[in-house]
Amino acid sequence: MSRSATTKGDLLRLGFRDPEAATVALAALGESRAPLLALLGRTADPDEALAGLVRLADVVDDRDRLLRALAEDEGTAMRLLCVLGASEALSDHLVRHPAHWHELADSRLGSTRPAAWAVREGLLLAVGADPQDRSPVATRPDAEAVDALRVEYRRVLLRLAARDLSHHLGVDDAAAELSDLAAGTLEAALAVARARVGADAGLARLGVVAMGKCGGHELNYVSDVDVIFVHGAASEDGAGDDVALRVATQLASQLIRVCSDHTGEGTIWPVDAALRPEGKAGPLVRTIASHRGYYERWAKTWEFQALLKARAVAGDLALAGEFVEMTRPMVWSAAERDGFVEDTQAMRRRVIEHIPAKEAERQLKLGEGGLRDVEFAVQLLQLVHGRADERIRPSTTLSALAELTRGGYVGREDGEALHEAYSFLRTLEHRIQLHRLRRTHVVPEDEVALRRIGRSMGYLKDPVGILDTTWQHHRREVRRLHEKLFYRPLLSAVARIPGDDARLSTEAAEERLAALGYVDPPGALRHLEALTAGVSRAAQIQRTLLPVLLGWFADAPDPDAGLFGFRRISESLGSTPWYLSTLRDEGQVAERLARLLATSRYATDLLEREPQGVRMLGGDLHPLGAEALTEEMLATSSRHEQPEAAVLSVRGVRRRELLRIAAGDLLGLTDVADVGAGLSRLTDATLEATLAVAQRAVATQRGLDAAPTRMAIVAMGRYGGFELSYGSDADVLFVHDPEPGADAQEAASYAQAVALELRRLLALPGPDPALEVDADLRPEGRQGPLVRTLDSYAAYYAKWSKVWEAQALLRADPVVGDRELLGRFAELIDPLRYPPDGISADDVLEVRRVKARVDEERLPRGADPHTHLKLGRGGLADIEWTVQLLQMRYAGAVPGLRTSRTLEALAAAREAGLVDEDDAAVLQQAWRRVSRVRNAVTLVRGKPSDELPRDIRERAAVAAVLGYPPGSSDAMVNDQLRYTRLARAVVERVFWET
Amino acid sequence: MGKQEDFVLRALEERDVRFVRLWFTDVLGFLKSVAVAPAELEGAFSEGIGFDGSAIEGFARVYEADMLAMPDPATFQILPWRGEGPATARMFCDIVMPDGSPSYADPRHVLKRTLSKAADQGFTFYTHPEIEFYLFKEQPVPGGEPVPVDRSGYFDHTAQSMGADFRREAITMLEAMGISVEFSHHEGGPGQQEIDLRYADALTTADNVMTFRTVIREVALSQDIWATFMPKPFTTHPGSGMHTHVSLFEGDRNAFFEAGAEYQLSKTGRQFIAGVLRHASEISVVTNQWVNSYKRLMFGGEAPSYICWGHNNRSAMIRVPMYKPDKGQSTRIELRTVDAACNPYLAFAVVLAAGMKGIEEGYDLPREAEDDVWALTERERKSLGIEPLPKSLSEAIAVAEHSELLAETLGEHVFDFFLRNKRAEWEEYRGQVSVFERDRMLPVV
Repeated sequence: MSRSATTKGDLLRLGFRDPEAATVALAALGESRAPLLALLGRTADPDEALAGLVRLADVVDDRDRLLRALAEDEGTAMRLLCVLGASEALSDHLVRHPAHWHELADSRLGSTRPAAWAVREGLLLAVGADPQDRSPVATRPDAEAVDALRVEYRRVLLRLAARDLSHHLGVDDAAAELSDLAAGTLEAALAVARARVGADAGLARLGVVAMGKCGGHELNYVSDVDVIFVHGAASEDGAGDDVALRVATQLASQLIRVCSDHTGEGTIWPVDAALRPEGKAGPLVRTIASHRGYYERWAKTWEFQALLKARAVAGDLALAGEFVEMTRPMVWSAAERDGFVEDTQAMRRRVIEHIPAKEAERQLKLGEGGLRDVEFAVQLLQLVHGRADERIRPSTTLSALAELTRGGYVGREDGEALHEAYSFLRTLEHRIQLHRLRRTHVVPEDEVALRRIGRSMGYLKDPVGILDTTWQHHRREVRRLHEKLFYRPLLSAVARIPGDDARLSTEAAEERLAALGYVDPPGALRHLEALTAGVSRAAQIQRTLLPVLLGWFADAPDPDAGLFGFRRISESLGSTPWYLSTLRDEGQVAERLARLLATSRYATDLLEREPQGVRMLGGDLHPLGAEALTEEMLATSSRHEQPEAAVLSVRGVRRRELLRIAAGDLLGLTDVADVGAGLSRLTDATLEATLAVAQRAVATQRGLDAAPTRMAIVAMGRYGGFELSYGSDADVLFVHDPEPGADAQEAASYAQAVALELRRLLALPGPDPALEVDADLRPEGRQGPLVRTLDSYAAYYAKWSKVWEAQALLRADPVVGDRELLGRFAELIDPLRYPPDGISADDVLEVRRVKARVDEERLPRGADPHTHLKLGRGGLADIEWTVQLLQMRYAGAVPGLRTSRTLEALAAAREAGLVDEDDAAVLQQAWRRVSRVRNAVTLVRGKPSDELPRDIRERAAVAAVLGYPPGSSDAMVNDQLRYTRLARAVVERVFWET
Repeated sequence: MGKQEDFVLRALEERDVRFVRLWFTDVLGFLKSVAVAPAELEGAFSEGIGFDGSAIEGFARVYEADMLAMPDPATFQILPWRGEGPATARMFCDIVMPDGSPSYADPRHVLKRTLSKAADQGFTFYTHPEIEFYLFKEQPVPGGEPVPVDRSGYFDHTAQSMGADFRREAITMLEAMGISVEFSHHEGGPGQQEIDLRYADALTTADNVMTFRTVIREVALSQDIWATFMPKPFTTHPGSGMHTHVSLFEGDRNAFFEAGAEYQLSKTGRQFIAGVLRHASEISVVTNQWVNSYKRLMFGGEAPSYICWGHNNRSAMIRVPMYKPDKGQSTRIELRTVDAACNPYLAFAVVLAAGMKGIEEGYDLPREAEDDVWALTERERKSLGIEPLPKSLSEAIAVAEHSELLAETLGEHVFDFFLRNKRAEWEEYRGQVSVFERDRMLPVV
């Protein structure tokens, strides 16, 4: 290659970041540089690889030999440059021990895995111990031996890294070799420990059991090595028990120090014995009998989970092996122990609720979709199912996953995808750690590091970009791991899926459902079976949907109800073409549906009657405006001849809208004021359309061409106040006004018939919640005529009106029917409800007296006066009466008070200075809060109630609807009591003026 | 299950424990106990022991009577007074609802909540109570005047003193239950004793106070005498208080200490005092919860009647003790209102909440009271801005009813129940015709 060929451009193309420095460095290497260039271009970091090579060449005794070897043997060059480019720490090691470059000239590296015994032998020889001895003892001076152990450890590690980086070692092989290296290191460290303890060392047998990743034969480049020590007396007579304990403890603690101490040659890794019985508080070493005593009686599920990985690795292997044999049966019967279900649930939550780590987004181990997720999930499945099935017991994560897949406990595709994801994440972790040999699980953020890591994994073009996409892809796979590992296989237990010969047994599936929080696993399985049986397309889609849904159900207050509701809806929609495809393709619809079904009986009932509503969940859930609704209802009802059919169609629209409002409320999308307004507008539209139908029907019946009178409906009470709740009746007044020249009797009879027909049509049994139309607030109450003329109202109010009627009229909202008549009705009542000078002092007293009596008498028997939502302390009635008294006294002077809505009137009162800021805020918050609770209670229970649920599960569900985290239902009650107590204090001042 | 549960289960085996008493405290501060066999305990750790909450004073709204007692394994102790043979142990419980959420009616939860709010700001709360009580020769007889076991006075050492024997045995028993005693001596009244418990975090101290009251009464019974924590059993002799030293720690550092500041008292410490002073009247109904409590507070001496603080001023409601050089960690303040018949969980909670309020809102500390407040004239006190504490339970209730601090700290349920109960107590008391009245009036009218 001529000099001109290595231009700056060439170097940049090869991946150098600093061509100037590279040119200088290349010059320093002289002749040999040329063939190296292409190889450098394939290293993780060409600049570092080249710089490292220059450093190494400067310190080796045999520079020429090195350069010649690089030039002549591509394998050697590749291994050396790959290591230099990927690991700063190993480059430093090479510079410290230049002769070690010869290690990489060993051509066997590409083909042969070092035998564990050979590694052990090398490490023992390094400290001067005899590998053939059953209890080898280090003979080199202590400091020398400790250093020699570190150097030998790194020498083997250097060879391993070279294999890993340049010979495409599988990540499981690399991890297994690292575990062998760790095992040999523990052995050599024990030899040094024996030398330290001296002659006594022979008085105890000490076995080292590896746990965690080392035990599972899947160690990282740098990580704590978890161990448990087991000891015994050297002689059989048992006389030396105390001595054996003392000696074994010394040996174990010296072993730990030999590995973790920092010397001139650095450290190896910390040895962690915290997984032993009683953790750090327990004795460092125990006998087999003592271990057995502990595990038989005291050990907890997580400890058996840990024991899954136990493996005899060093010291007295017979003793360590005995420990492993002793614990095996306990691990596999752990699932039979009391509390296993609770423990696994807690463990599952531990998988979901990640330890809040800094840099959580870039955490490979503990972050969401991290390695810990996969490991925990696999171990959990092993414990649940490994009792009956020996095949799934391997202690290595990837092997276990493969066996679980083969056994049908995990679906084949899922198993393979997870396998790939886990391998990728582990490789990534290895490459990150390899750079400085530091224990880290965080993906770095700087470009240079990401580029090096990406290139080391073979992404030579756009390393940063591809690394990131690949990483995110695998993370997504892992994130949905619960669906894949826990839920999807459940389906194979109930449905014979073609082509899938391995499947979960019924018992296994029930065990798993219970562990996931389902109260009635056999019932749940029956639903699953019904949903997925057969080879139809629907069953196929259900099989892909249900794993996700099962997870969503499990996170909601009532998983069993969620699944049952889903089954009924799926059955009634049958093979409706859009249903399953909507659920499958629009994730939002399915998630919303699952949450509604497992939370709210009200929404479930609506959905069951009107499964079509499912489709709406994908769209906007804000309440529709009155105009659009009225238009739609009028149009749909006019298409039917029969009044019953016409109103049924109106009620169909209402049912759909009720679901929209309930869903928006439950999913936290619709504010409580909008819920009330939405329900009121919906009632407006329903009455408007039904009034038209009723008028048509009566006219037809009577053979009239034109109506003899004009009709209107005035909304009253909570309906008039735009504050309807899900279960409320609609309070109304009917008013009519005969056409000029019409016979008064005939007009009255017609109007009466229309009102009756309207009520009948709305109360007919149907697939939707009936709308109860209540006219009891009319003059003279139930004794009075159902419908009056405008003039009759005028005459009545002029003569007889009581203050409570004026108060009721505050909530009057003339909305439905003849516009002009409504206007005149409003003109009629305004002077009554908004007297120019306010009501008299006597009337104020009367209002208070009536309220006092209502407080006393209206509360239902047995209701708690503190928490009754409507009539309780600081409840809705308290707040509304307070606002209404202000309206009756001051609306004449303050126009803002002339409104039927509580919150509007309250705001106007505050602006006018009738209530101070703080008091108004208290009343507003309490009113909103109580209204929300009232709505939530109806949604959860499916029927209206003005009391907090007594059933603890329902109360927990109400708390969940209100947004409280699990386990805080009493906190919800406490907050409720606080809001209402504060409101009551304001009511005392403002209403009672005490 | 964690290591502590394991420890307990193992101890049951090793010590041959036949019964475990699960203790909890009702809203008024009375100890409740339910005994379970060791075999049931494992279940109790995971699921709790169900009981009918409506049977316990102040616990349940009637219709939601089901509650669970969850033993706290950290409080496991063998009871020392059951003699030889099979042992009995006790553990304190947290009260939870059937869905696992903590009950707001549980005084222990009230304190835990308040502690965790302080912990959110980085503080741990330590208390150190000095508990006074009387020893009488016999069990109380209705209408009878109790007879003290001796006629000694403050710090008296009498040979063969009943009190000294009693204290020795009581302290031995307390130490056997892991409760360290700092100090003990004869107090001012005849038969009156004082025992000071070692500093500990407030939850432990409150548990210890409950245990202490039980141990003292058990020991008294075993010696055929009677012990009482009644705040003021005699008109003429001093009452029994529970002066409580309190301090806040931030990690390992005493947050009340500041080298070089006046009395070595940090800004945090001064604000804490200001908070307790400003809210003293509101929390009085909890720190001094009985009709009788207010009789202790009206005669001067060791019991305060006025809201003020002073340095080594024994007439002040809050005393800042003499600073000992090189003992920055022991900087603390002494609150002298609390009496020994309080509910310690609630009392510590409200004191902490009041002090924390002072810190959060940055209250300024009022002037120090340098004189004996008892010796001042009414007008002098007024001009110095020294307000009186509530003079009766009735006054205390009236102030408490409007206290947001109290409602927030106790939680709505306890706040409501507690005040209702206290109002009823006051009404009942108001209707009593007393010996005092008869003695005054029968002879003359």
